[in-house]
Amino acid sequence: MADQQFDSALDLLRRLNPRDTKKNLNAINSIIPELQEDLLSSVDQPLEVRRCPQTNRDYLLCDYNRDGDSYRSPWSNEFDPPLEDGTVPSEKVRKLEVAANEAFDVYRELYYEGGVGSVYFWDLDDGFAGVVLLKKGVTPGSQSSGEWDSIHVFEATDRARSSHYKLTSTVILHLANQSEALGDMDLSGNMTRQIEADLPVEQGDASHIANVGRLVEDMELKMRNLLRMYSATPSFESGIGNANWSVCDLYRGGLLRQGQGCRG
Amino acid sequence: MSTTIEHASAFIEGAPPGELADVVADVQALTSEEGDIIPSLAPAFERYNEAQLTTVKLPGSSQEVIVSQFNKVEGNRYFDPESQTSFEIDHITQTASAAQSAPLESQNADLIKSLIKSLGIHAREHYPNCSYGVYPTENDSAVAILLVANRYSPNNFWNGRFRAIYQVPVSSSSTSINGNIHVDVHYYEDGNVSLNTTKPIALSVPSISAESIISRIATAERDYQEELNRAFVAMAEGTFKGLRRQLPITRQKVEWEKVGGYRLGQDISGGKGR
Repeated sequence: MADQQFDSALDLLRRLNPRDTKKNLNAINSIIPELQEDLLSSVDQPLEVRRCPQTNRDYLLCDYNRDGDSYRSPWSNEFDPPLEDGTVPSEKVRKLEVAANEAFDVYRELYYEGGVGSVYFWDLDDGFAGVVLLKKGVTPGSQSSGEWDSIHVFEATDRARSSHYKLTSTVILHLANQSEALGDMDLSGNMTRQIEADLPVEQGDASHIANVGRLVEDMELKMRNLLRMYSATPSFESGIGNANWSVCDLYRGGLLRQGQGCRG
Repeated sequence: MSTTIEHASAFIEGAPPGELADVVADVQALTSEEGDIIPSLAPAFERYNEAQLTTVKLPGSSQEVIVSQFNKVEGNRYFDPESQTSFEIDHITQTASAAQSAPLESQNADLIKSLIKSLGIHAREHYPNCSYGVYPTENDSAVAILLVANRYSPNNFWNGRFRAIYQVPVSSSSTSINGNIHVDVHYYEDGNVSLNTTKPIALSVPSISAESIISRIATAERDYQEELNRAFVAMAEGTFKGLRRQLPITRQKVEWEKVGGYRLGQDISGGKGR
């Protein structure tokens, strides 16, 4: 019963407006409090930002850097509020985590030109796992805004001369636009994709950073293109097939007769 | 229990186009310990049907007619001026029954009949799958013009709905059209992406005639479609690029071997420093 209710809760959250996910989670929790913990760890929500008191740098909060009510900063490895025996990665994995944070900080600056990023690693019996978080918000005009959150969770399992990587990526997007001519327009959503790959690790830890980096970089490009397609002009018939879920399918515009409109 | 009904009602009213049955099934599973609460949610179903311009098939007919606040007679009975029929609706199952003849009684009956005819031509030209209706409202001092177009493609994980709701006061001095256009599209393959738009419409017409009213509405709907297209382009090229670039400004992907703690101090990705 509980399993079925959990599945129904996830299905419901997949159908109701993604803009209201937090509100709907609270409502489901009020109906079935027992589902709360599993739901909170299964449903991705926009990331929260906190400033690291030791380094004065911003970092992102998620379940993977949380211990009780405290969160670990990737920059200082310290918990806030302070914890005496908070769970931290092993020395080897922390060293890798520091390097990954430096690498993804460069990545963030190159692709996001701002925003906040954080990488958290933890030990596995036969390897390690981690999460790469990136967040950016823009307000290009007083009436329009955009928010992007990406959450990449991966596992790296040791093989003979290679490592097996399993990556699950979620992007949460919120675009809002308002003007007199347009009225209100809101495009919100989240999307999850997975990939697995065996990649060589000939240079040890440096290879891990490069492998995870490329997997995340390629996945973000793919997901950005998918999401951009949904926010792209619906009036051109392109080769995007079924994903052309646009307004076009509801309205046959006058553009049709100029040979550049939507499918009839 | 009352809180549960409140939450469940909000879920019903928030159901995306074409997915009410799925939301109902989820609500049933989530509330199974409370017994069958669906009958208690009837007011929410009614609000959903009237707001979303739900269409039902008239008994013994293939014709789909709209359910809205504008064509409500009383209780669960609504009427359709085009077929001059009234009908009962079960709001929960969205089915019509007990059809009766209901002649259109309005001082604006001629205008309404002409509007239905002109609106039908406009609708067939621009909406692949739609229902529409024209009704006397405001104590017969105005007419409401409604159009709803649905496109459901659950096999491809997307559904969409276009709704246009206009009101035209009918008097010798008044020549205005007011209303709203709503577009709701849901895409949910390995995710949940929702587009929701609302565009307030305020138009003036040279005269209260069916041709001029529908002609102004057709122009406004076309203009809005074009405005939406422009906004999509602006979003894709502006806001989206401001969030995450497709490629770094160097047009090269990150050289991962050169970034991070293992190769500190080296040039990264074509020279753009930190």
